[in-house]
Amino acid sequence: MQDDVRPALHEFVVKVNEPVAQDTYRLLIEAPELARTIAAGQFMNLQVPGDASHILRIPLSFSCADAAAGTVELVYAVVGEGTARLAAMAPGQRSTLTGPSGTGWRVPEQPGRVLLVAGGVGLPPVIAAARMLAAAGVGFDAVVGARDAAHLYERGVDELRGMAPDQLCDCARRVLVTTDDGSAGIRGFVTQAVEPLLAERTYVQLMACGPAPMLRGVAELADAAQLPCQVSLERLMGCGFGACSCCNVELAAGGYALCCQDGPVFDAKEVVL
Amino acid sequence: MSVNMAVDLGGIAMRNPVNTASGTFGNGVQFEGFYDVGATLGAITCKGVAAQPWDGNPAPRLAELPSAIMNSVGLQNPGVAGFVERYGAYLQGLRERGCAVICQIAGHSLEEYARATELFEELAPWASGFEVNISCPNIAAGGAAMGATPAAAAEVMRTVRPLTSRPVLVKMAPHDVAEIGRALQAEGADALSLINTIPAMALDVRTRRSRLARPTAGLSGPAIHAIAVRMVWECAQAVDLPLCGIGGIASWEDAAEMILAGATAVSVGTANLTDPLAAAHVAEGLERWAAEQGVDSITELVGAAEL
Ligand SMILES: Cc1cc2nc3c(=O)[nH]c(=O)nc-3n(C[C@H](O)[C@H](O)[C@H](O)COP(=O)(O)OP(=O)(O)OC[C@H]3O[C@@H](n4cnc5c(N)ncnc54)[C@H](O)[C@@H]3O)c2cc1C
Ligand SMILES: Cc1cc2nc3c(=O)[nH]c(=O)nc-3n(C[C@H](O)[C@H](O)[C@H](O)COP(=O)(O)O)c2cc1C
Ligand code: FES
Repeated sequence: MQDDVRPALHEFVVKVNEPVAQDTYRLLIEAPELARTIAAGQFMNLQVPGDASHILRIPLSFSCADAAAGTVELVYAVVGEGTARLAAMAPGQRSTLTGPSGTGWRVPEQPGRVLLVAGGVGLPPVIAAARMLAAAGVGFDAVVGARDAAHLYERGVDELRGMAPDQLCDCARRVLVTTDDGSAGIRGFVTQAVEPLLAERTYVQLMACGPAPMLRGVAELADAAQLPCQVSLERLMGCGFGACSCCNVELAAGGYALCCQDGPVFDAKEVVL
Repeated sequence: MSVNMAVDLGGIAMRNPVNTASGTFGNGVQFEGFYDVGATLGAITCKGVAAQPWDGNPAPRLAELPSAIMNSVGLQNPGVAGFVERYGAYLQGLRERGCAVICQIAGHSLEEYARATELFEELAPWASGFEVNISCPNIAAGGAAMGATPAAAAEVMRTVRPLTSRPVLVKMAPHDVAEIGRALQAEGADALSLINTIPAMALDVRTRRSRLARPTAGLSGPAIHAIAVRMVWECAQAVDLPLCGIGGIASWEDAAEMILAGATAVSVGTANLTDPLAAAHVAEGLERWAAEQGVDSITELVGAAEL
């Protein structure tokens, strides 16, 4: 448990809030202190104005924190009332957020290539992970899954392709796309692209974020290949900083951890997916 | 002109009437990044802790409703020894910074309440006092609350009372507060905290299942405030003990209402999740309100509703 995680309350200003795929928005906020302090895989809890009867904040990951510009980039899907209100926020509008929250991705200790796996709006924290690895000189491949071409956040896929090339290995990076209906990339679930990659290339670890069934599938493949796997989990959250115990994640060894504090990134073997 | 904001909650000296509701404020330390807890609040009430660790309930433990949430955390806690090991140093420091520390006692049986109290007595000399949570499920009685009737509540109090000389508060469930309050007073309770969450139910009509992992869960937040004010007022008529008013307090106005209804202190609960600065804002606002009301001491406003 990390009791040293001390999120603060930050005011933010919306700079950009634009549709980037079906029901999917890219939000750029100005929040200089957060941009300086948030680490890949951590998240924040936004208050979205406009409806006082919704009393909880909305937990969101981020894809890029630019300390120099003082901005943080988020990508979110509109799935309900709160995210619909968020999509209606205009540039210049202000609100507050709490963060940085939780325990993020860890750069693997052993040298070698990482396989990143993202499903749906699991992509933003995976983009943050890729940036973290690129900055640390660690190579990666990636598999990005979406329902169909319309829901695919293509700019994110391009970013993964364009990041600094691997320094430890001269072979080209592979970034594969899968869609449930085959309208972009490979037809099928991400696991169908992950399995052959694991057979073909050498990895030291997997890092994955997406819906629970996807994470279960990826963790099983990692286990079969005897590779460690970090997974980023989602839970409904009351506070987002360890105060309410509402966001429990079942541990393989019994008992529960808190997603907002001990996670959202966990070792797949330590949790019941 | 400054108003004296200090209150005495059954022997617990508080610099101002603002406390935090058990289970909604972590154990204080989680809020230190938001404000100086030790310099700001009158007291904090820690999460309910039992003699041995409890896992709590499965996920999901949370649902959001209009102006409310429901939770079924089920008192996940690390046991008294684990709690003291992890939070003892921080809580002792908090006390030294002038903020009272109330430790909450949980148990599934009278023996477990007794054991938890003994362990707290031994391991937590820094605690300002204790709050006994009588809403814990009674394992022997198939999960009904331990203190569901005046007789059962009295029995819990009779068990805990001889084991400590420090102030003992009781956290009351939202029913029969006059009768149960009188029974607790007779057994030597120093103060009463009310209300706990209101048992409630929320269904997903597509899957036909509960929205939480349990069929029922506790409702809290602004939606329960008016019910809580009424219960504090009823209890205040029935007992001669200081009360800590809890339930849907999100602003200083909500807190002031509780005080007028008869609460000596107030606890901010669910509002801590919405706005982590909520309790600090309540403390500031109450002081302004007391000054506007022209009193020398906030205690003059306790139960001062003109009905
Ligand atoms: C740590 C963390 C990081 C997240 N990062 C992102 C992100 O980068 N991009 C993104 O699009 N979404 C992310 N989410 C999910 C996002 O928080 C929810 O989609 C959002 O809270 C839904 O709010 P709403 O009011 O629109 O939906 P509601 O009307 O409350 O619910 C609509 C649907 O969304 C589901 N839902 C609600 N809250 C959550 C939640 N906290 N987690 C998962 N599903 C939820 C509900 O079960 C329901 O099916 C993240 C969640 C967590 C816990
Ligand atoms: C997430 C959560 C956890 C809680 N845990 C406890 C607890 O451990 N012990 C307890 O007596 N009450 C617990 N409560 C009840 C609160 O202390 C309080 O009585 C109730 O929420 C009503 O106040 P509110 O509307 O201001 O939240 C909990 C409430 C919530 C929302
Ligand atoms: S959301 Fe409150 S403890 Fe995790």
